[in-house]
Amino acid sequence: MERFLEDLKPGERACVEHIKGEGALRRRMMDMGIVPGVELEVIRRAPLGGPLQVRLKGYYLAMRRGECAKIMVSETH
Amino acid sequence: MKIALMGNPNVGKSTVFNALTGSNQQVGNWAGKTVERKSGIIQRGNQKIELVDLPGTYSLTAYSQEEIVTREYILREKPDVVMAVVDASNIERNLYLVLQILELSPRVVIGLNMLDLAQATGVTINSTELATALNVPVVEIVAAKGKGIEEFLTEAIRVGSLVEYPISSEVPYPEELEQKIHAMEMLLKDTVWANQYPLRWLALKRLERDPEIGQTWKTIAPKSRNNKAKDSCCDSGDAVIYQLQETIILPGESLLQVYEAEGWSKDHFEMAFADAKYQFIAQMLPKIKSVEILAKPTWTDNLDKWVLSPIWGYPIMLAILALVFWGSFVASAPLGGAVSQGMAWAGDVFVSLLQWGHAPDFVQSLVRDGIFAGVGAVLAFIPQIAIFFAFFSFMQDCGYLARAAFLGDRFMQLMGLHGKSFFSLVSGFGCNVPGIMATRTLEDPKDRLITMLINPLIPCVPRLGVMSAVVAAFFPGSRGAIIMLSLLLVSMVLVMFSALFLRRIVKQKERSAFVMELPLYHIPTLRNVLLPTWQKTYSFMKRAWTFILVASILVWVLSSFPQGVPMNETWAGKMGGLLAIIGQPLGFDWRIMVAIVFGFTAKETTLSTLGILYGVAADASQSIAQAMTSAMTPLGAYTFLVVYMLYIPCLASVVTTYKESGSLRWTSFGIAYNLILSYIMGWVVFHGGQFIGLH
Repeated sequence: MERFLEDLKPGERACVEHIKGEGALRRRMMDMGIVPGVELEVIRRAPLGGPLQVRLKGYYLAMRRGECAKIMVSETH
Repeated sequence: MKIALMGNPNVGKSTVFNALTGSNQQVGNWAGKTVERKSGIIQRGNQKIELVDLPGTYSLTAYSQEEIVTREYILREKPDVVMAVVDASNIERNLYLVLQILELSPRVVIGLNMLDLAQATGVTINSTELATALNVPVVEIVAAKGKGIEEFLTEAIRVGSLVEYPISSEVPYPEELEQKIHAMEMLLKDTVWANQYPLRWLALKRLERDPEIGQTWKTIAPKSRNNKAKDSCCDSGDAVIYQLQETIILPGESLLQVYEAEGWSKDHFEMAFADAKYQFIAQMLPKIKSVEILAKPTWTDNLDKWVLSPIWGYPIMLAILALVFWGSFVASAPLGGAVSQGMAWAGDVFVSLLQWGHAPDFVQSLVRDGIFAGVGAVLAFIPQIAIFFAFFSFMQDCGYLARAAFLGDRFMQLMGLHGKSFFSLVSGFGCNVPGIMATRTLEDPKDRLITMLINPLIPCVPRLGVMSAVVAAFFPGSRGAIIMLSLLLVSMVLVMFSALFLRRIVKQKERSAFVMELPLYHIPTLRNVLLPTWQKTYSFMKRAWTFILVASILVWVLSSFPQGVPMNETWAGKMGGLLAIIGQPLGFDWRIMVAIVFGFTAKETTLSTLGILYGVAADASQSIAQAMTSAMTPLGAYTFLVVYMLYIPCLASVVTTYKESGSLRWTSFGIAYNLILSYIMGWVVFHGGQFIGLH
């Protein structure tokens, strides 16, 4: 089953498999270090459908759920 | 020698810049952009160095205004050496930018900062290994304490004076890519461009179909509008202007088409190059970084548990906002009062000098009631703005502002805005001027413009003061609270509506992404808080005073000629009389219209204007509002309140909008939008109210 970053619960980790979409958003994600193979951990989800706090490469990132829904993830190895 | 300072946002770049240049800074905007441009001249030995602080960026693509500015500077101005500030606690993403810089300009010195912060999270970085891995000099610095900064500069000067280009490590790309790069290099190596830029970089960018490759830009000196007014600090808009000289089509088009047929599109290349860079970093990481698993969570983790908590996050934010509001708008009130009193006193002194010189009465009145009173009213904002910006810089530097954006993003999303707009809009409740100035943190210029234009719809403290006095007079008791709340609700709904509406007017191709770093908390240096505060305040004064002076004189002329007649006979009064025709559909008489016209300089004056017009000589706002009750129905008063809340906030906010947007067109649009919106709303309230039988 396909899983996306948006589906992760706080504390769950996953690996980036693939990023849907293109253009500025994908480039932006690339610049922030979200490339296939990178391990992500969801730290918390803001209430009422707000953004997610994600840890990667030792730093924290805030991303909207819509953007998180574009990042396909797989189990960490 | 030209040195550029580069790095990710929040890495301590400005700290390094401030330490090196001190107060010898030139702050302006990059030509045509609302991105701050900071530069400074420093002298070391017999070297005169122009140090440019490039905006913090995550990459050298052209995603945001900051990136465009940075790239253009490196490409067109070709600094002799780049000082790259790197955050040790976030080494991987920082090195990604460094690798991009290295491909373009091999003369780079790395300043490894925040080693202490990294240590606190259990990360140790070996700077010698980093230098070996990249073949680039690395200097350890503690920017916040001023340690190592001078050595950093010395090393940069040394590298910058090298005759031969130093050789840094190249990012190895996968074999398939290397072949493509090589093929492209072969096609490009005989062009003029190959003499100016590293061939490998040129090939990479050609494969990415970068539009800038092939364009030659000419630097033209900025038009010397007022060339003698070059200020040591805060010179505005002295940026270099570029002009496109020629565009040559570089070879390789047919090769690119072949690759595209094989499935190697522009996006594909970009992704593959980025991927290879991260791979390269990952490979060298074991040598340069050692991680120790800490038993206890870090400072940032502990604080975030509260600050970003779904339950406590909002109360904490409210408390912080309350503190900022109290500090900037309540505690500063005596200071603001002192400023206007000081101005009044200075005006009196000046007038007595004029009396001594037998100056005519109207000159005395112009000086006292026109210039000093008018300028004083606006200068009274200065303490508010300064204190607000001190808080603002502090919160931005320490990392809280990004958290506030995280918490507020949900609400902003409803309006199609970015989380960072949240703080600007909330600040509007205190005063729209800093609210508009706070839009600077937004990366997308369209988001910035929209946030700026809707900010005036939020009633600021002075407006709320006048409104509550009127509400108390017309709607005594608990009804007043409901009326006040309903007004705030109207403002909220209109802010939301306008944001969505303006999104259609301001053409925005792509909705900006909310992918925002949440930096580790740290305590900012005093200099990093005070210097921007001073620069913001100073530039506000510098930019605003001419406008304010002219407007104050204009208002004085309109309201005091012909001389010695009652207020309704003056030009402004007659204007109000004419405007009464416009006000009629809203049920406004000429007095209300005159008060609205005069409210433009500063809205808190509206009550005293009404007081004069109604013949109540008292200063007490209560009695003025009482006098209004005999002349207006509650429905009329409510209509007045709605219009009063929504029409152009004040002169200072208009000037700020002009300054921040840099566009007369959008400023005029904002004014027109406010006027039309308030008129329509007033009409709807008045007639809607009458229709359902209110009066």
